[in-house]
Amino acid sequence: MDLSFWILQFLNAMQYSMLLFLLSIGLTVIFGLLHFVNLAHASLYMMGAYIGISVAAMTGSFWAAFFLAPMFVTLIGAVLYFTLIDRMRTAGPMNQVLVTFGLIFVFLDLVRMGWGDIALGLDGPASLSGTTRLLGVDYPAYRLFIIALGLGVMATMWLVLARTQIGAMIRASVENTNMAAALGINVSKLFFLVFCFGCALAGLAGVAAAPILSATTTMGITILIPTLIVVVIGGLGSLEGAIVGSVIIGFMETFGAVMIPSFSAVLTYALLAVVLIWRPQGLIPARG
Amino acid sequence: MFYQTKLRSITLIAALIFLACYASFGSYFAREIVVEIIILAILAISLDLCAGFGGMVSLCHGAMMGVAAYGFAIMSAKLGWPLFPSALIGLFAAVVFSGLVGWVTSRTNGIFFIMATLAFGQMAYTFFFKSRWLGGDDGFGGISRFDLSMIGLETNDSLVFTYIGLVILLLAYGLTAIVMRSGFGRTLSGIHVNEDRMKALGVNTAAHRAKAMAFSGFIAGLAGIIAAQHTLYISPELLIWTTSGEALIVVILGGLGTLVGPIIGAILLVLMKHEISNYTDYWHAFIGLVLIFTVLAGGRGVFGQIEYWFNKLTQKHQSTTKPHGDDHA
Repeated sequence: MDLSFWILQFLNAMQYSMLLFLLSIGLTVIFGLLHFVNLAHASLYMMGAYIGISVAAMTGSFWAAFFLAPMFVTLIGAVLYFTLIDRMRTAGPMNQVLVTFGLIFVFLDLVRMGWGDIALGLDGPASLSGTTRLLGVDYPAYRLFIIALGLGVMATMWLVLARTQIGAMIRASVENTNMAAALGINVSKLFFLVFCFGCALAGLAGVAAAPILSATTTMGITILIPTLIVVVIGGLGSLEGAIVGSVIIGFMETFGAVMIPSFSAVLTYALLAVVLIWRPQGLIPARG
Repeated sequence: MFYQTKLRSITLIAALIFLACYASFGSYFAREIVVEIIILAILAISLDLCAGFGGMVSLCHGAMMGVAAYGFAIMSAKLGWPLFPSALIGLFAAVVFSGLVGWVTSRTNGIFFIMATLAFGQMAYTFFFKSRWLGGDDGFGGISRFDLSMIGLETNDSLVFTYIGLVILLLAYGLTAIVMRSGFGRTLSGIHVNEDRMKALGVNTAAHRAKAMAFSGFIAGLAGIIAAQHTLYISPELLIWTTSGEALIVVILGGLGTLVGPIIGAILLVLMKHEISNYTDYWHAFIGLVLIFTVLAGGRGVFGQIEYWFNKLTQKHQSTTKPHGDDHA
């Protein structure tokens, strides 16, 4: 195994990490602000992929799907927010887990009704169909695009959270919702905006993943567990935690599968167990 | 706190008689359904004891059941041990596994407990899924049922097997009810309501929670032994987290913290599943909507709601009398 092999694995791990990041960041910010555990977040990811495939089939353009699918998913998220999420916010973790578990079932069958049980593919954009030479290896350009997308979202979110007024409002609300409300921040409007934004990112992750992974009815459930692990390892509600968590899990799963195939699947769960015992609040907790 | 009220006793007996009749007068297929209900009901009782009384919403109960089933199947089918000792080993393995999970997670609460149990359950699932010796995701067969011919029972007869299952269900219920009525169960409820106060009273709450999980593992293990002997075959499907999720649905559908509720919930869920799949392929969505509706309607579940109405009705006449039960917590 030469150096180029490891570079290839490094890029694969980066690409998987970025996908996990796009999903976990929405989940974690929603939890940090709304104290809501949305297991159906991964179902929105699945909806993003399927809606993207339909939009691409209708318009013939990947980019139309890439921009429209997150919007449709945001719309679904907004409907969910007003019908269920908002009234479940104070209902305790068990009821939240149950309701969103029910939603997973509903979305699963909605997809089966709308698109059938067969795995569907989505062609990536023609401009990104080839390979690019990077660090001495030929790597698919589309996968590099996902890495860039993840890094771009990461940088934008950091800028927004750290440098803008709305970012300050979000940070204040995560720290102490009541105090933020007392200072005149419209907290319920903020909740709604953040929830929609998280849903949009889930949809974006779905449509971005479709050309690589192809859309299946189980894709939501499959990615849900690693996403939850990322969020818990990083620290529920923490942006930095989601970054660190997704990189750790992305690299551990990719390199684990290469280096210790028989043990790799247990590795992630073992890490989660260790973190939960040693630092139950996560590696980088949201509240210092 | 648990009270074996008259309403609960009547409902329990009615449910058992219903299942026995359904199996006796129905076809072979009806008996398969009843065994499926029995397995799910025992698993849900085991989860109710954790979630309803201890406040520990576990997503690893499927794994607890699966560990017992694998333990039994490995000892009997792979290593050729006699069946009864193998079953005891299986139950012991489930108790050890659950106790360990309970001990490690005893300081976590709420969503962290849910996530931690999910992780340990999936860890066990992945272990069996990846194990080549145990057939990986295909699992393995060659399991046989208890030989009870010396007392004149032919367990390979589907009706006899169903009756034995019903007896084990009653035993699991009775055992759990006795433990929940004892000081141990009262202390567990106390920890659920106010852990700090129980600590101040000198209770080692972490150890107590771990013991409760271990006992829950024993009950879940009973379901695992029946499941392995029912299909004579075993696969990692038993351990996957959605099995635990299904048990949680059953508990909520029937009524959390009532012990009878899980039996009612299991009957409803399995019958709904089979009835709906006669008409449509999309029973998942229906179950999902029923679950959402149950939670939105107050989360008492079917039996819990009936009990709530019943108590309201009777309390109008006797406002001060509480349901009786021995208090020595």
